[in-house]
Amino acid sequence: MAESATDHIRNFSIIAHIDHGKSTLADRFIQLCGGLTEREMDEQVLDSMDIERERGITIKAQSVSLDYTAGNGETYKLNLIDTPGHVDFSYEVSRSLTACEGALLVVDAAQGVEAQTVANCYTAVDIGLEVIPVLNKVDLPAADPERVKSEIEDIVGIDASEAVETSAKTGVGVQDVLEAIVRDLPAPEGEADQPLKALIIDSWFDNYLGTVSLVRIVDGVLKKKDRIRLMATGAEYMVDQVGVFTPRRTETPELRVGEVGFMVAGIKDIKSARVGDTVTLRDRPTASPLPGFKEAQPRVFAGLYPINSGDYPMFRDALEKLSLNDASLHFEPESSEALGHGFRCGFLGMLHMEIIQERLEREYDLNLITTAPTVIYEVVTKSGDVIFVDNPARLPDVSLIDEIREPMIVAHLLMPQDYVGSVMQLCNDKRGIQKDMQYMGRQVMITYELPLSEVVLDFFDRLKSVSRGYASMDYEFLEFRAADVCRVDVLINGERVGPLSVIVHRSNAQYRGRELVKAMRKIIPRQMFDVALQAAIGGKIIARETVKALRKNVTAKCYGGDVTRKRKLLEKQKAGKKRMKQIGSVEIPQEAFLAVLKVSED
Amino acid sequence: MSVKLQPAEAIPLSLYVHTPWCVKKCPYCDFNSHAVTEQGIPQQEYIDALVRDLEFHLPEVWGRRLSSVFIGGGTPSLFAPEAIAELITAIRTRLPCVAGMEVTLEANPGTVEADSFEGFRQAGVNRLSVGVQSFDDQCLGKLGRIHSADEAVAAVSRALDAGFASVNLDLMFGLPGQSMSAALADLEQALALAPGHLSLYQLTIEPNTPFMHRPPEKLPADDVLAEMQDVLAGKLESAGLERYEVSAYASGSLQCRHNRNYWEFGDYLGIGAGAHSKLSNAETMYRFSKPRSPGQYLAEAGQLSAVRGHRRLEEADLRFEFMLNALRLRDGFSIGLFEGHTRLSYSAISESVGEAVERGLLVEHDGRIQATETGYRFLSDTLLLFS
Repeated sequence: MAESATDHIRNFSIIAHIDHGKSTLADRFIQLCGGLTEREMDEQVLDSMDIERERGITIKAQSVSLDYTAGNGETYKLNLIDTPGHVDFSYEVSRSLTACEGALLVVDAAQGVEAQTVANCYTAVDIGLEVIPVLNKVDLPAADPERVKSEIEDIVGIDASEAVETSAKTGVGVQDVLEAIVRDLPAPEGEADQPLKALIIDSWFDNYLGTVSLVRIVDGVLKKKDRIRLMATGAEYMVDQVGVFTPRRTETPELRVGEVGFMVAGIKDIKSARVGDTVTLRDRPTASPLPGFKEAQPRVFAGLYPINSGDYPMFRDALEKLSLNDASLHFEPESSEALGHGFRCGFLGMLHMEIIQERLEREYDLNLITTAPTVIYEVVTKSGDVIFVDNPARLPDVSLIDEIREPMIVAHLLMPQDYVGSVMQLCNDKRGIQKDMQYMGRQVMITYELPLSEVVLDFFDRLKSVSRGYASMDYEFLEFRAADVCRVDVLINGERVGPLSVIVHRSNAQYRGRELVKAMRKIIPRQMFDVALQAAIGGKIIARETVKALRKNVTAKCYGGDVTRKRKLLEKQKAGKKRMKQIGSVEIPQEAFLAVLKVSED
Repeated sequence: MSVKLQPAEAIPLSLYVHTPWCVKKCPYCDFNSHAVTEQGIPQQEYIDALVRDLEFHLPEVWGRRLSSVFIGGGTPSLFAPEAIAELITAIRTRLPCVAGMEVTLEANPGTVEADSFEGFRQAGVNRLSVGVQSFDDQCLGKLGRIHSADEAVAAVSRALDAGFASVNLDLMFGLPGQSMSAALADLEQALALAPGHLSLYQLTIEPNTPFMHRPPEKLPADDVLAEMQDVLAGKLESAGLERYEVSAYASGSLQCRHNRNYWEFGDYLGIGAGAHSKLSNAETMYRFSKPRSPGQYLAEAGQLSAVRGHRRLEEADLRFEFMLNALRLRDGFSIGLFEGHTRLSYSAISESVGEAVERGLLVEHDGRIQATETGYRFLSDTLLLFS
């Protein structure tokens, strides 16, 4: 058999749950293949953002090309394509997997299989990937490889008898994993002489290079100076650079069929080089783009406002900078009487929102108020128009509405049998409709249709608590569905505060309104005057609470001599106030805007 | 902000002397005090150090007249009257003093100290401040005080008999487990002794104190504390003791001149371990302090190295620190006093004053600015407008 150009290439991803050791294993690969010297091996090379490292989550896909000399004496190019590891980024995961021929399913030998892993593994199998099961952390005393192997067979449905046992931490078995990759994963197929067809796996913004895209060459070859066309947008560019990550960025003259590497082509912003788009040559285009391209749709929305109105320009710049690297972050200016100027931002999901919020506060030193997250509603007006409402305050008057449709998701929940009852109870409380239940060994997978609005509130926290952390969940968007929802407003000292409004199901409205003002009463500190908190539906007040006025606020003893202590005390008070928003004469702490999340249904 | 530079001589100057020792440290106290060790207090050494310290600073205050002296602590009454006499003489021979200058000494109401009161008066102390805190033995125990209620009554009587021009009692309220009636009883006992001055302050849990790490049980709730404050203040007023500062009450002319000077943002030189100073010269106003540890102070007093944390006060500091002090006075301050003692033009605060007036926290009339009833109750909130 004639040796083809791609025989010695293996493209693979690692599918793993958070904390199951993906990054450590990747680091071991790099070390074994000599990608970096000992001195350059900063811990966990792949998770390069601080926030990724802290949360143990990969947000951006990255890749590394390694030269591995196998037991048979031949050298292989192993391209590891790192995938984002969270439910909010399932589309990105599917694109990363499409770029591979195989995947390592890494499972913690002590903890076993989690829903996230299962969902991603199903995606991999659907795409036609060869999956190699790997049991990590076999050095742990609690490791139970046999149990976890049968769990993999029961739940994921792949043969785990030959699963590779390893400990990325100690290095045991890592070589075996690399051998399995070479032996069990197919080499990429593809035609070197066909017109260029390449998949954009991810794009990010580099201050010096502009947009950098990670691409997989499916057919043909991509060279420097090539004139290319991005098929979704039709935009054309000239390629400035191509190359690979070793993991250092290393320029090469070309990327050949089957290879994975980066491309720089003078693309101004990453929204022009979308994940999943197909790259081809302007003068010799491929006949059809790669299937599966989708535009990332934000599903969760929140208003973000700087506490200090003077920070608005800085805030806008920060959002623009973040969106350079995050095509799924949407934002548009919004203003509210209570909170001043801010932005309504759209996120892929709750985690995405938290990450953005944290980065804004940490990297840009902004003090922000985030309103309660909400979903987007499809509203049919009496005149027959369909409008999308992503801000409860903007919901048209009831008399103008014919129907409101809320987004529904399909959720797959995986948990040990013991917790099935309480998880089902939770889903039912959240207006879920059960669709399926499957016993997989000692684990159970249940499938529910759930309103996304219920999930963005406190679902994940509640799921964790009712299952003692053993249940895991994966979801995807299903459809917009008619629902009997209404808006609950909050009035502070008689004034409606738009950013505090929430849209809830009518059956819950009374209860939610009551609990909402109760939660706020606990959050709003006592001030110089009584603060009246009311919840209302339309013109009808459904609940009322009062934050009683403080009677005094003065430092008892003040020795004139040492003024520094007294100063410090007041400066602390001032810093506390800085994190509060003045609404009329009332000072509202940031947390009050998220009080709705604290309303739990016990 | 252009300023008509007033000569420093136009600003009153006080002297504060700190003695850093106590028999035992109380769990609520965050002042610079140290328990006396087995070797006792190095009395003579410390007096010598204080004099060296004073002499080091003489050039900075040369030609200015002292308007008050305050010997505080710690527990200055642990010093022998002879030592205090030596100290006061040393001060009087080195700096000119106003006629009838107020000289205060803080005393613990124990039996041993009370024996020294007569001697302190002869040494030149004319105002005695007695740290009674409470007349309830249970409360005194919880506060970690070493004296009893009976001792306190006896000590105050002796202080009053000793012929001081003024005697102050320090009294606390809001003590662990204290009821309204207990607080009233404490106050009535104090009034029965008829001091001319009373400092009544709420127990505050300060950072870096044992009480902060292990809060005492049954502290009265905020609303109860506010109620106590109101009831006790009313009682004092009807007894003829006027509230002239947040925690200070005096009859007629017996207001504490030394403390008033702090509140009016006058100058003060602080000598002794951990003492703080605020001084003006022809160009600037500045603060500094002394080493807190007695050992370090004894070693360095009188040398440049003992001057710690020297900081020039900028406009923002001046306005905030002035308001921080002056608004504590019930009758507030005159615009003339602000301009004279900060050397800033009134326009530095006029806008914030306007905002506070609008919010009902301050009133302005006849060139005087003072807190309203609300502004006084919420003084911390009022002050934030000037920070």
